Amino acid sequence: MIPALTVYHLLLLVPAPALAAFMVLGLAPVFLHRRLVMLIALAGGTAPLLAMTGMMGLCLTGQCRGVAPIFTLQVGTAIVDLALLLDPLSMITGMTVTLIGACVLIYSIDYMAGAKTADLRRFFALMNLFLAAMLAMVLAGDSIVYFLGWEMMGLCSFFLIAYNVFSDPAVAAGRKAFIMSRIADALLLGGLLLLFIAAGSVRIDALIAAGLALPEGQRTVIALLLLGGALGKSAQLPFHTWLPSAMAGPTPVSALLHSATMVAAGAYLMARFAPLLAASPDVMLVMAVGGALTAAFGSMTAIFQSDVKRLLAFSSISQIGFMLLALGVGAPAAAMAHFVTHALFKSLLFLAAGDIAHSAGDDTSIAAMKGAASRRPLAFAAFTIGAASLSGLPLVTAGWWSKEEVLDAVLGSGGAGRALWVLALLTAVMTAIYAFRPVLIALKPGPVDAHPHTPGLATRIPLVLLGFGSLTGGLLVGPVIRLLGGVHPEMPAYSVVVAALAPLTGLAISWQLSRSPQLADWLAARRLLRQGLQIDVLYQAWFVQPFQRLVDRLSGVHGTTPDPFGAAPVTMMLWLKRQLIDRFRSDGFDSGWMALAGTATPLWAVARRSQSGRARDAVMALAGGTAGLLLLGWMTA
Amino acid sequence: MTALFWLAAALFGIGLFGMMARRSLLFQLLSMEVMLAGPALAFVAAGAARGDAQGQGMFVLILVLAAAEVGIGLSLYLRLSRIADVSDVDTISDLKG
Repeated sequence: MIPALTVYHLLLLVPAPALAAFMVLGLAPVFLHRRLVMLIALAGGTAPLLAMTGMMGLCLTGQCRGVAPIFTLQVGTAIVDLALLLDPLSMITGMTVTLIGACVLIYSIDYMAGAKTADLRRFFALMNLFLAAMLAMVLAGDSIVYFLGWEMMGLCSFFLIAYNVFSDPAVAAGRKAFIMSRIADALLLGGLLLLFIAAGSVRIDALIAAGLALPEGQRTVIALLLLGGALGKSAQLPFHTWLPSAMAGPTPVSALLHSATMVAAGAYLMARFAPLLAASPDVMLVMAVGGALTAAFGSMTAIFQSDVKRLLAFSSISQIGFMLLALGVGAPAAAMAHFVTHALFKSLLFLAAGDIAHSAGDDTSIAAMKGAASRRPLAFAAFTIGAASLSGLPLVTAGWWSKEEVLDAVLGSGGAGRALWVLALLTAVMTAIYAFRPVLIALKPGPVDAHPHTPGLATRIPLVLLGFGSLTGGLLVGPVIRLLGGVHPEMPAYSVVVAALAPLTGLAISWQLSRSPQLADWLAARRLLRQGLQIDVLYQAWFVQPFQRLVDRLSGVHGTTPDPFGAAPVTMMLWLKRQLIDRFRSDGFDSGWMALAGTATPLWAVARRSQSGRARDAVMALAGGTAGLLLLGWMTA
Repeated sequence: MTALFWLAAALFGIGLFGMMARRSLLFQLLSMEVMLAGPALAFVAAGAARGDAQGQGMFVLILVLAAAEVGIGLSLYLRLSRIADVSDVDTISDLKG
């Protein structure tokens, strides 16, 4: 059944160009010239932004609550109706994703041109597929499209991390990300299916309504399952270990997937199901405390990093912790405002870091940033703006405005909120420390350019655009929160002053760090902290190695039983033979019986001829036997 | 309606004939797909005739089954092609009694 078309069906045009670009790049069996590949990728990456801008216009003129049904199937009492949804939440998230996606794809044109792996077509096909999947998830009005987009994102993430297929660490990192997200996705799937059973429908609003009608215990279980899915996708404690390894992928991938958009999908999930979660105060508390702890852990670990990309990865973990903290205290609007500004400045940081690393001969360590200020002035300026916005320097940066909203929401929630607020302030101080460390190092004189070429227009446009957004994005925070129906709590003056002092304190500490070589050495020697308390190592010892040992045992690598399930009956039968048969061996009765059995041998010789071992004969026998049975049934009926 | 059932039966028959007549493993897998299409069509036809969506539901299930079957079949094909001649399955008869 094809439903009547409405204006909201234009939503289909948002992910469609990216999907079409993927189809052409990934599936067309013809050779495409390098320039054509880039052109198609660019079209697929920027057209969603135009379509989404149109939908934003629709949204701002007051028609901001629309469903575009795509497909309906009624089976028994359950209805499977796929749909796209336009509401303030999906509009804001969709705009952010399309904007960042377009910027990163424009940047990739220039960046990937010099990449060592020549397989540009695969790269752009996957980037476009990711964009389509993410937009499908953001605009989904039902759990099936949502989950499909969610899983496709995970798959693209795997392929793009392991983009350099000749590098073993990259492939291992991709596998790690894939497996860890799979665990979390299983939790999410469980939650969505339980909601479906309760609702008999897959529409998200019906799922939320049905979830709210469930008894307390079941609702808590479902909320916990959904939270588990969000924690895995957003690389929060205890699932965070995959994100730092994921930096093995190319820099544009890190900028688009592993900082700005995909890893923040957990926050989007929580915002989408916010009414359901709000009805489970215990889960909300778990989310708030977990978010705050992750934020503090991530920023503390980031201070000790020696690689810019890993530093930024821990920074993403920390900033998404902020979003979950805001969601946990019941302020989804503040969380989404922080999502928007974070996407702007974090992708800016990655893109700028990528350009600087290019000029240092693809070295992404912080030490290699020395002299970046003179080598790549534009990228350095962009990085500085990004770092300022990340640490939230008061008034002039976008990051300050959204972080302020989060902090106010946390403080305003009272009770445990005060303790979390203090923790978040500490995090803000640490954020400024690690954010400015690469900046201050880049100011020092360093070697000249390894590849002296001026970055092209395709590199400069996104940097300027995102840099502008990272500074002035604060103007968006108010409207975003109003659009999402959030309220700004009235706060005492001291909290604003303290929150404004926190990044400045961090900046001062960072300045001290960069001036004192002893402190820098001390930082470099803290191996345990740099490796994030070695949680990775623990996982390796607790989960990976036992599993590998189990697999080795089952596959019989070390001379053990290859197949325990097959071996068990054999062992049992041998035991039975010893117990029963062996006792009666070689008496008269036994030999008489064996003689009788021996007469069957000629029969057996005939019968074994039917076992030709050929699959086709087995098919023929199967078909003939079935036909015979059917004939018998038909005749006796 | 009846014509659709005849078509379904014909598809099944063609697939079965292919399974028995073809010697190449790849073509046998293809024939199996054709065989699966027969019952799937019958389900859809029956569902359409009775105005019942369960026919389509069964079709989706068969689609999933076919996907799983292709997954297993092709991986078996790849593994087998390393150790034996898959262009003539009759040579693979290690289970001969």
